[in-house]
Amino acid sequence: MERMVEILKKKFGDCIGKSSDAIPRQLHIQITKDVVVKISRFLVESLEMRFLFLFASDDRKESHCFHLRYVFSIHHLDQFIVLCAPVREEDVTFPSLTPFLPRANWQEREVQDLFGLVAQGHPDPRGLILHEDWPKDIYPFRKDFVQSGKIPRQKGEYIFEKVEGEGVFEIPVGPVHAGIIEPGHFRFSVAGESILKLEIRHFYTHKGTEKLGEGKNPNQLLCLAERISGDNSVSHAAAAAQALETLCGIQIPKRAQCLRVVLLELERIYNHMADIAGVVLDVAFGFGSAQLARSRERAMRLNERLTGSRLLRGMIVFGGVRNDLLDLDMKFLISEIREMKADFDEVIQILWNVSSFMDRVQSTGMIKKEIVETLGGTGPVARASGVDRDLRRDHPYAIYHELLFMVPVFTEGDVESRIKVKMQEVYESFKLIHEAIQGMPEGNTCVAEVATLKPMRSALGYVESPRGECFHWIATDQKGKIARWKIQSPSFSNWPLIEYAVLENIVPDFPVINKSMNLSYSGNDR
Amino acid sequence: MNLILSIAQIVLVLILAPSVSWWIKKIKALSQNRIGPTILQVYADLGKLFQKGMVISDQASWIFRAMPYILFSSALMAASLVPLFFKSSLLGFSGDLILFVYFLALGRFFLTLAALDTGTTFGGMGSSREMALSSLAEPALLLSFFALAYRAGTLSIEGIVLHFSLEAPFPILFFTSMAFGSMLIVTFVESGRIPVDNPATHLELTMIHEAMILEYSGRCLALIEWAHQIKQFLFLSLLVNIFSPWGLADSTMGIHLLFSFLFFLSKIFGLAFVIGWVEIHTAKLRLFRVPDLLAIAFVFAVISLLGQLMIGR
Repeated sequence: MERMVEILKKKFGDCIGKSSDAIPRQLHIQITKDVVVKISRFLVESLEMRFLFLFASDDRKESHCFHLRYVFSIHHLDQFIVLCAPVREEDVTFPSLTPFLPRANWQEREVQDLFGLVAQGHPDPRGLILHEDWPKDIYPFRKDFVQSGKIPRQKGEYIFEKVEGEGVFEIPVGPVHAGIIEPGHFRFSVAGESILKLEIRHFYTHKGTEKLGEGKNPNQLLCLAERISGDNSVSHAAAAAQALETLCGIQIPKRAQCLRVVLLELERIYNHMADIAGVVLDVAFGFGSAQLARSRERAMRLNERLTGSRLLRGMIVFGGVRNDLLDLDMKFLISEIREMKADFDEVIQILWNVSSFMDRVQSTGMIKKEIVETLGGTGPVARASGVDRDLRRDHPYAIYHELLFMVPVFTEGDVESRIKVKMQEVYESFKLIHEAIQGMPEGNTCVAEVATLKPMRSALGYVESPRGECFHWIATDQKGKIARWKIQSPSFSNWPLIEYAVLENIVPDFPVINKSMNLSYSGNDR
Repeated sequence: MNLILSIAQIVLVLILAPSVSWWIKKIKALSQNRIGPTILQVYADLGKLFQKGMVISDQASWIFRAMPYILFSSALMAASLVPLFFKSSLLGFSGDLILFVYFLALGRFFLTLAALDTGTTFGGMGSSREMALSSLAEPALLLSFFALAYRAGTLSIEGIVLHFSLEAPFPILFFTSMAFGSMLIVTFVESGRIPVDNPATHLELTMIHEAMILEYSGRCLALIEWAHQIKQFLFLSLLVNIFSPWGLADSTMGIHLLFSFLFFLSKIFGLAFVIGWVEIHTAKLRLFRVPDLLAIAFVFAVISLLGQLMIGR
């Protein structure tokens, strides 16, 4: 990694400041903001790194400037690189990466809305997180924003992109939907039943979770993390816990690592089962969806029996896992999994033989590999489009590097491929749980002494959640309190993909495409 | 006596129509390891809707308000043309076959108009889908009616039923069964069932019939739902009475009537079971595949008619 810094210094000279590799596998490099695009281009094009996400933090108290951080990864070296560019209070502009890396689009707009920094050269600078009724000069993520009191609302109108032509209609759907789901607006432009364009508008449930986490102690933060996206509780909590533990340099006991794998995979199982059930229900195949819903319910009851929580909440704590699993529970878990697997097998067999169902999912909602790569899609959605990427294998955490598993990848990119990926992943998860239990050593499930957070440090935690890559970045201030918590949820990465998935499809196929991607509104809005 | 029985038949349609919907729901529930609702539930649902207040958009015109009544009465008028367990219907006359089709078309016309009336997104979407499909379903239905009428030598529903009940095992069963297939497909479309439409969905973007009535509430909604159930019931009655007309009472003797009534009930619920069975075993078709299904219905009807024309009665 020292070589990397040398290469960069040679190429960009004074623009590269000091670097720090205090945290293993996470290299921090200071740069100046005007070379951000150039360096990113060099990292992505010449060094074949992958741009993950960017975010801002308000450090005006300490250094009179904001900081923008750009996170990259090199998977063959299992290494993350965080570029850190200061943006001074007097000049809040920064060069936009979006024209070069379209996946930075929403992230830069988020920075604009929440911190009041201005991305110069951004092709679409409309508001994203904050809607037009929010006053223009109030930036909630700045440190001087007072959380108490009601913000006055103002009038304003969001301008949707228009498709014009004879017989082109707009269909506005949401933000209030039928059924018990979260709010989000979809604006279709259609000619007859064919979709010409879809524009999505979300962030109706933006709660400022990242800001709420500031100043909290580690376990309070994990409690918040579990509530970012209900069905991904374990993933978010585990990612946040890893960030905190890395930040303090804590190595959690091996038994706790095994238990975390068990919990993470249990979460994946019930999520994927629910996802497949949802797709089947949306094409009105009631029998199949009822059977899958039954399997999922069984998985959730297993969760409850093992941890006391159907969503597996409260298990991940700072430094390990709260409760150990008894031998009795382990035996029960193994026998349950054997039966669940047989059951799942049977249902899938039936499903795959219903030609009317297969006809609905095949070639529906195709996402091309290039689109996924360009927009930074992750998780099963990306793997269904031929992007072979999985954090568990590429950047292993917990004890994933000791476990043998397959990462299913399909290339069609349609609803069927997404179901297939999820189905295969369920089988892999069954195997992983088995392996993790077998290799589980005796010992504590939590570090004996819970350390306090070290001041002025920052670290990245990451988990391959059922929906895809989930990153948590945590930084502490001089007193060792949490100063900034950034959550990069997989839904935030994947929502823009849906605008492309629906093209060349018809309106009544939208629900099943949407369901096959199963993105979280809450996780996206935070 | 004939008149009393004919009126009784219409009352029976009103009472029995919701129970067929219940039966299909129950079958589906059992297939999904659920218990399903009791038979009283469908009536309780209607009763509840009748008691509830209505929310009507202030953009709505008289069409929106009048539609439920027009739809319900057109369904009722159609009901008065169909014999159930007794050989004659209330308003049966020669040529009522065509009137039956257009009573339903009248209801549909106002249904789609009313859906457009409030200017909501989903209403317009539902209307355009309904019209597209019914423009294909109607010819198929009419043609299969003509095929049957040609065979029976009469254009009255009553007459056709009577003809088939007297005719010993059909000499050209093949052609009438083609007409049956055609009408069965049309029944799926007209009653808004899977694989064409899903009456149980909450996904507005996929709806056809339900999309058109999203704006309705209270009494109006109850009338629409009821009218829809009546329509479904009438199609089933037509199917069972034309294609298995045996056991229809032709005298007014109590025991005959009771027997034919029970026989009729078992036929209706038997056919409804077939519809439920199809719902369990298939997913919904892609919207653009539904015209293919209706094309099959049309071809069936054509084969049935042409076949008879060529081979002779």
